[in-house]
Amino acid sequence: MSLPSFEVVRPRTLEGALEELERHGPDAQMIAGGTDLVPSLKQGLFSPRVLVDLKGVRELDFIRFDREAGLELGALTTITRLAQSPVVAEYFPVLQAAAKTVASPLLRNMGTLGGNLCLDTRCLYYNQSAFWRESLGYCLKKEGTVCHVAPGSSVCWAVFSGDTAPALMTLAATVRLASPRGEREIPLRELYVNDGWVRLTKRHDEILTAVRIPLSSAGWKGTYKKLRIRNSIDYPLAGVAVAMRWASDGVCQDVRIALTAVNPAPRLVEAAARLKGKRYDPSLVDEVAHEAIRTAKPLRTSASTMEYRRHMVRVFVRRALNEVWANGPHC
Amino acid sequence: MNKENIRLRVNKRDYQLEIAPNRLLLDVLRQDLGLTGSKRGCDDSSCGACTVLVDGEPQMACLMLAVSYQDCEITTIEGIACEGQLEPLQRAFCDEGGAQCGYCTPGMILTARHLLAHNPRPTDQEINEALSGNLCRCTGYVQIIASVRKAIELLEKQESGVAAAGQGG
Repeated sequence: MSLPSFEVVRPRTLEGALEELERHGPDAQMIAGGTDLVPSLKQGLFSPRVLVDLKGVRELDFIRFDREAGLELGALTTITRLAQSPVVAEYFPVLQAAAKTVASPLLRNMGTLGGNLCLDTRCLYYNQSAFWRESLGYCLKKEGTVCHVAPGSSVCWAVFSGDTAPALMTLAATVRLASPRGEREIPLRELYVNDGWVRLTKRHDEILTAVRIPLSSAGWKGTYKKLRIRNSIDYPLAGVAVAMRWASDGVCQDVRIALTAVNPAPRLVEAAARLKGKRYDPSLVDEVAHEAIRTAKPLRTSASTMEYRRHMVRVFVRRALNEVWANGPHC
Repeated sequence: MNKENIRLRVNKRDYQLEIAPNRLLLDVLRQDLGLTGSKRGCDDSSCGACTVLVDGEPQMACLMLAVSYQDCEITTIEGIACEGQLEPLQRAFCDEGGAQCGYCTPGMILTARHLLAHNPRPTDQEINEALSGNLCRCTGYVQIIASVRKAIELLEKQESGVAAAGQGG
């Protein structure tokens, strides 16, 4: 499929990129790895007049570990580099586990962390050709008035399908957003809005420049479980990230569980708090896994059924907790 | 839409081109440079038939805007044979039946080349993982893995041959 017409501007500095975004306003869209945007452009989901290509803004490509500030990851860090980083592997295993499952090796070589966090939400009725969508009278997310997943709904149920976001949320990560007005840093979870159309709190003229993981999250045990049809390439149908810190006697000091691909936003599971101060107990793990289903509201946005996806959230929470907790203190 | 004057470096040759900014690298390679080894398969960034090496790393040309890759060294399947001699991976894919319809083969070979450049003695698991972004609908992958194994053998022989020749000299 051919692409719509647009110009491409290639700034070399963050300042230059911000200027381009400001100058072209809503006519402009950002592109970095292009793995999310280009297929959508082919399907006519966006029609920007200008693409601001961020690949030349090398100041956004870095991984820095500081014993006071924690880990800082530039938005242009490719998923491959993230997955191969020795620091990430040693101190933030949940993030490495998630990064290794993103799409395929080829796509990880291209896709960036910033792009993975700002991924467009996905739906069976949205990620289709213009011809396909037109034949159904379009949908609430794009050009239409009806949500085919939940007719009558006033919000869009397209799901957020990133893998790194839930992992970073279990590590209490923050993101930095730069704009012509300056810079602000917000918790990653506040970047998202649980409406598939609104998606992000990031404003149009803001660029997500970096992610920061506090030092207090270093060394947490963790893992990521992902449901998909094929073991490569596919977006998740459900994803569960777990990170936990336990004392030498095995008592859980702190824990976070986050879900992806089962809501319009990645979300933390509140029931995880029940594990704090407790020793490993399979029935307690089962209880939290069961409660986690309440945080998951998958609808018919993919080829798989919502029942299966919800069931797998429970299975994955149990497996992930068993993996990081049951074996850990005794090893 | 205004065309742009760009330069591309492909298979160690420099090209000056006048192209529209919305042209995909895959189309520029195939239509403007006549390099039809890179294939359009799924066209939605799944199958890997369009794989090219960008500064040595396998990426998908169906996702790349040509104007954005002017500072890179691009290598296609046409660029890996040396002085008319097939590269060990190419020879191994021929000998072991790694290519049937051949559509995925350029992508498979380029991806495998990157693997062997960084990990000359991969396990089967590592080969599987490295090639997991390149789909094949003919072989069932068995002969493809066998081809990569054979290429490793050929490369080892080549190396020991070079070492022996070095000692002899």
